[in-house]
Amino acid sequence: MSKPLKAQVENCTGCQLCALICSATHVGKFEPKQSRIGVEDLFPEPGEFKLNFCIHCEEHPCVESCPAEAIKLNEKLGIYYVDKEACTGCGACVDACPYNGCWMDPSGSYSIKCDLCGGKPQCVEVCPKKVLSWDGE
Amino acid sequence: MVTGYTGKILRVDLTNEKTSTEPTNMDWAKKFIGGKGLGAKYLFEELKPGVDPLSPDNVLMIWTGPLVGTMVPLTSRYVVITKSPLSGTFLDTYAGGYFGPELKYAGFDAVIVKGKAKRPVYIYANDGNAELRDAKNVWGKDMVKTEEILRKEVGQKFARVAGIGQAGEKLSRIAGVTSDITRNAGRGGAGAVFGSKNLKAVVASGSLGVEVPKIDEFVEMAKQMLWKDVVGNPDHEGLITDGTPIIVKMSQDAAILPTNNWHSGQFDGHEGIDSAALKERVYVRKKACFSCGIACGSFARVRDGMFKGSVTEGPEYETLGLAGSNCGIRNIEAIVKFAEECDRLCLDTISAGAAVGFAMDIYEKGIITKEDTGGLDLKFGNEEAYAKMPELIAERKTRIGDLLAEGTLIAARKIGKDTEKLVIHSKGSEYPAYDPRGSIGMALAYATSDRGADHNRAWPVAGDAYGDGDPWSTEGKAATCHDEQTLKSYKWSMIFCDFYGVSAANQAMFLNAVTGMPADEHWLKEVGERVWNLVRAFNVREGFSRKDDTMPERMATEPLPSGKTQGKTVRPEDFEKMLDEYYQLWGWDDQGRPTKATLEKSGLGDIIPNLPYLK
Repeated sequence: MSKPLKAQVENCTGCQLCALICSATHVGKFEPKQSRIGVEDLFPEPGEFKLNFCIHCEEHPCVESCPAEAIKLNEKLGIYYVDKEACTGCGACVDACPYNGCWMDPSGSYSIKCDLCGGKPQCVEVCPKKVLSWDGE
Repeated sequence: MVTGYTGKILRVDLTNEKTSTEPTNMDWAKKFIGGKGLGAKYLFEELKPGVDPLSPDNVLMIWTGPLVGTMVPLTSRYVVITKSPLSGTFLDTYAGGYFGPELKYAGFDAVIVKGKAKRPVYIYANDGNAELRDAKNVWGKDMVKTEEILRKEVGQKFARVAGIGQAGEKLSRIAGVTSDITRNAGRGGAGAVFGSKNLKAVVASGSLGVEVPKIDEFVEMAKQMLWKDVVGNPDHEGLITDGTPIIVKMSQDAAILPTNNWHSGQFDGHEGIDSAALKERVYVRKKACFSCGIACGSFARVRDGMFKGSVTEGPEYETLGLAGSNCGIRNIEAIVKFAEECDRLCLDTISAGAAVGFAMDIYEKGIITKEDTGGLDLKFGNEEAYAKMPELIAERKTRIGDLLAEGTLIAARKIGKDTEKLVIHSKGSEYPAYDPRGSIGMALAYATSDRGADHNRAWPVAGDAYGDGDPWSTEGKAATCHDEQTLKSYKWSMIFCDFYGVSAANQAMFLNAVTGMPADEHWLKEVGERVWNLVRAFNVREGFSRKDDTMPERMATEPLPSGKTQGKTVRPEDFEKMLDEYYQLWGWDDQGRPTKATLEKSGLGDIIPNLPYLK
């Protein structure tokens, strides 16, 4: 398996530049709700940020849960990605993921999750506090 | 085709409880961009002169700008534009955070609200649609609870809320609008305008996004600018390491830190409220607004003592000055508590801090007593009494709370006994935390600020008290004010954050990339001059002129007692000289009114028939 993104979330300032570039890269416009990385601001309590993204876990329950076999292997990177065309939007993967790693596109018609931008994760390149890193290939 | 805008404005008629949408006037957008400029144009055209700001006839707007919601760094802002109940002037008051982008993702460049609802309501804007909803579950509640409840009511975990607490509901003229719990469009009493309309909040949620041409090239450019011009920009270093609290020490050293209701420019307790104290005693983490690589904000929490558990973002320099040294407060923990109360109740910390400092001054002079304060021993530095003041003001409890809710100037006029002399303001808006007696250009900046005393229209203090220039020379001060007011007028029409030290050329590049408008430095300058002249014409139409562009008497008559400013005042003849020069630079007459020629030159010829003084 390829390595997932890493995050030192304690240094996250909540600027959402990761989500902005992610949405631009994947859907061609700026819209953080269509990003594959989600930034939650939890204030005033507990007073911290939470970053949600697919950690490309070994057990990948999303793949097992998908009735349409829409979560497919990218052999080059060794990670599973959502084939938007094949996805029926049932949401089984969202329920199956214990890591809040995937969610529904706001249209509700398919699920979305991190695909490491095909090997050049854009969020890493834009994180001004270097919270995000990727030591894949 | 112009891009970057949603192209839609949400109209809300509260009297008839109706919402509608209309196209954004793109002919106007090409002349005024958005934000401050475009909002000023709409307000000038739609507000009748002489309207009581707290009457249903006032117009309340929330504007975004074309860059908001994109990856252009530090463009998270929205602006509330209305006629100010504090100063009676044009009002534009800004907040960062996440609300501005969300309003655009919800499909709107702006929300324009008129009339008054028969019952408390809130506006819900979602993916190009909007509705008015009953606010009975949140009326009377603070903004922390309001945000939580309204997100649940609309069923959107990531909905953003801009609204008012108890201060706005009770029509305090120093009430602001809060979003994201700690971000405030604080100045000028915008919160009271919400309250006067029975409008609790605007809730935005959307996934429409913002599109720009050639997005791949655009992203590359924005990425490069982020690293080179934001993270790597030496001008941002202090903001990245400390944020605005770094200014406390600079002001103490320059002896312009307002202390004990402006009776001194130095505070012997400054070490308890400066950036080092903040970092050591209450700092939790850095917090950024949307699209910002600087993250000047510090989320702070009090660890122990009387105010244990209190949280805020900041406190920022203005709060540390007005609500800190100016109230004789020596401990950062007490200021965190005060700021938390102001966030929650939605009070402007500059005006509230100034008001409490004033109240402490007249309490110590025996003009008010414990009978007026509900038993509080309101001496300078009494943290326990001080921390209760935001609630007394917002809820109009006790005589002094009810008076200060009107703003310091009206409070003093009602109290009488010559207390008006103790109020440090211009046009009723309390001074921010830079004493002009140690930077005389600030007296001009405050006097000529379009929304009443303000530091965010021009900041000559940077070049003298904090720099190499002579703080007591009149030379170049009018030009600094003129140039910075021009710059801010276009910068806030896009809308950039004040803290992005971005060149005019780069602003033009960003605007051009997002909108396709033919922006360059010269074009932007023309827009800036047009916007500032328009806003001045608005204020003149409301009756303002040279007679109102003044400084408080104490700036001339009461010398500061210590440090670099010992014995210093602002000489009235210097002030008048700067003002004359300033009017000339702007092409205004000797009463500070834009002439026909100036308006025509600025592309404002069409408003001349609406200005009775030019007939």
